[in-house]
Amino acid sequence: MTITLSDITKTFGNYQALRGIDLQIKKGEFLALLGPSGSGKTTLLRVLAGLDFPDEGRLIFDGSDVQHTSARERRVGFVFQHYALFRHMTVAENVAFGIKVRPRRERPSKAEISDRVSELLRLVQLEKFGNRYPTQLSGGQRQRIALARALAIEPKVLLLDEPFGALDAKVRKDLRRWLRQLHDEMGLTSIFVTHDQEEALELADQVAVMSEGRIEQIGTPDQVYHNPATPFVFEFLGHANRLSCVIEGDEVKIGDITVPVQNISTTRQIAGIAFVRPHDIALHHLAGAKTLPVRIRHMFTAGPGVRLELERQDTNGFLIADLSHEQVQKGAFAVGQAAAAELTLVSAFPKS
Amino acid sequence: MSNSAVNPVRRNARGEPTWLRVLLIATSLGFIGFMLVLPLVSVFVEALAKGLTPYFAAIIDPDALSAIRLTLFVAAIAVPCNLVFGLCAAWAIAKFDFYGKSVLITLIDLPFSVSPVISGLIYVLLFGAHGWLGPTLDHYGIKIIFTTSGLVLATIFVTFPFIARELIPLMQEQGNEEEEAAISLGASGFQTFLRVTLPNVAWGLLYGVLLCNARAMGEFGAVSVVSGHIRGLTNTMPLHVEILYNEYDFVGAFAVASLLALLALVTLVVKSLLEWKFGDRLAAGIKH
Repeated sequence: MTITLSDITKTFGNYQALRGIDLQIKKGEFLALLGPSGSGKTTLLRVLAGLDFPDEGRLIFDGSDVQHTSARERRVGFVFQHYALFRHMTVAENVAFGIKVRPRRERPSKAEISDRVSELLRLVQLEKFGNRYPTQLSGGQRQRIALARALAIEPKVLLLDEPFGALDAKVRKDLRRWLRQLHDEMGLTSIFVTHDQEEALELADQVAVMSEGRIEQIGTPDQVYHNPATPFVFEFLGHANRLSCVIEGDEVKIGDITVPVQNISTTRQIAGIAFVRPHDIALHHLAGAKTLPVRIRHMFTAGPGVRLELERQDTNGFLIADLSHEQVQKGAFAVGQAAAAELTLVSAFPKS
Repeated sequence: MSNSAVNPVRRNARGEPTWLRVLLIATSLGFIGFMLVLPLVSVFVEALAKGLTPYFAAIIDPDALSAIRLTLFVAAIAVPCNLVFGLCAAWAIAKFDFYGKSVLITLIDLPFSVSPVISGLIYVLLFGAHGWLGPTLDHYGIKIIFTTSGLVLATIFVTFPFIARELIPLMQEQGNEEEEAAISLGASGFQTFLRVTLPNVAWGLLYGVLLCNARAMGEFGAVSVVSGHIRGLTNTMPLHVEILYNEYDFVGAFAVASLLALLALVTLVVKSLLEWKFGDRLAAGIKH
């Protein structure tokens, strides 16, 4: 299903949760709404589901305006953050709920319902758990039952609120892969909310980065990661060094050096902030025309690489750099040494 | 030393000394025995002091029978009223935000904090012959005080908090998510109430109803004020017990009292039976 939102706003009392959201979701797409808490992503998901109604704006599903359609009639599969399984019903009853509440003439026979439930339980790999109660399941199993229950109504779109938030790391990774596969196999249109950038980048076709009730940027994981449109997006998607700079043409002046900038071009000189990812810093012993003088203050192993804290000798500011173990060994870098930092990829934004 | 392995002392990490444990258990058991079990037993002993014949004679006495009928009748109206009202109030408080919510919560507790006698007096002041509304109602031929209606009103007032109080914390804890899930799965408001909200609070509701019922049948103070003690007409069981007792008819008084006590016991047994039979669902309903 194609979904179009235009200029959606939503206010709770004095708090403006959504400030004009424009968004297009194509059929079959897997979209992540990524943002910190309070950015409005869950509210947006609830607006899509019809659990909250926007103050203004238009909401169109497949060409028809659903603004005043209730959640009940939207046929949207919603998976709640804490699953919201019906605690007094067995797993099978939970999954059957959406079919059993249909009007009598649309309701399949008991046998058909039971077949459909078994089929869904098989799909989520929990066919032996039909008679259990939700309390007797682990977090990952509850999550899958919540998904089976949502899929039972043959939803046109699947909405998931922080689907992996309450699970431990291993289960999360497995479920992620499984969910992506399910989405592709069933030809669903899915939207999920997350605050975990890694999750969004790994799982989604499109990522909408949200902040303070607005969409900062929407694009493929590659686009938002490598070409962040705003300083917020840059900082939210991974570590970033902030350096004050002057932007001129397609170069920036940082301290005494001038380096090319990848994302901006100006006709006149403006004050700006340059962003450099830790892995876009190279370290040398000899200073060059395009290196900043630094001293290595701290160095520690961070997973597959080495993280270094560098103190700039020209401003006393700090830089974080990620190098490989190999690079550190080859260069024989040690804490306390003076070195020269080369900024290999720089993005910059005008100072606001 | 060697038999410590054979006969290991049960210890726990908190390490309370044995004497403390014994003291605590003995105190609670002793207190319950002295304050609850002993009086309960004495009711039945006194009732059966002269054998079964006088016991049953006291119960099938026409005045006693009419007291029993009236008590059942009052409870049969008061409990459903409080059931509906308690559910509405608990639902409103737990699931919506509105102006004056905290006032409502406080007011629900009012009947608990006011002496039942005063509750009765309130109704006399309101509906009595010289009360605020009494003359007006009298004009239309409606009498409240010294009639069954008065008994029902006073009982509803006194037993009002039981069901609401039982449901509010339960519903607050459960939140709205399951209802939202039901709606998003295509359930109507009524289906959601019937299939999700109600089953989730069913146990709290049942417990509230049992408590409410026990109190409705046993209520003395408020009922005593509005009843007028007309034998065979406005006398409920507790009032009948008092009258018999004041007339030195101890067997009669305790015989009727034993029925009330029996009712309390049956209530407890029914509750335990249901808990035992539906233990699974109960556990699923309370924990999550």
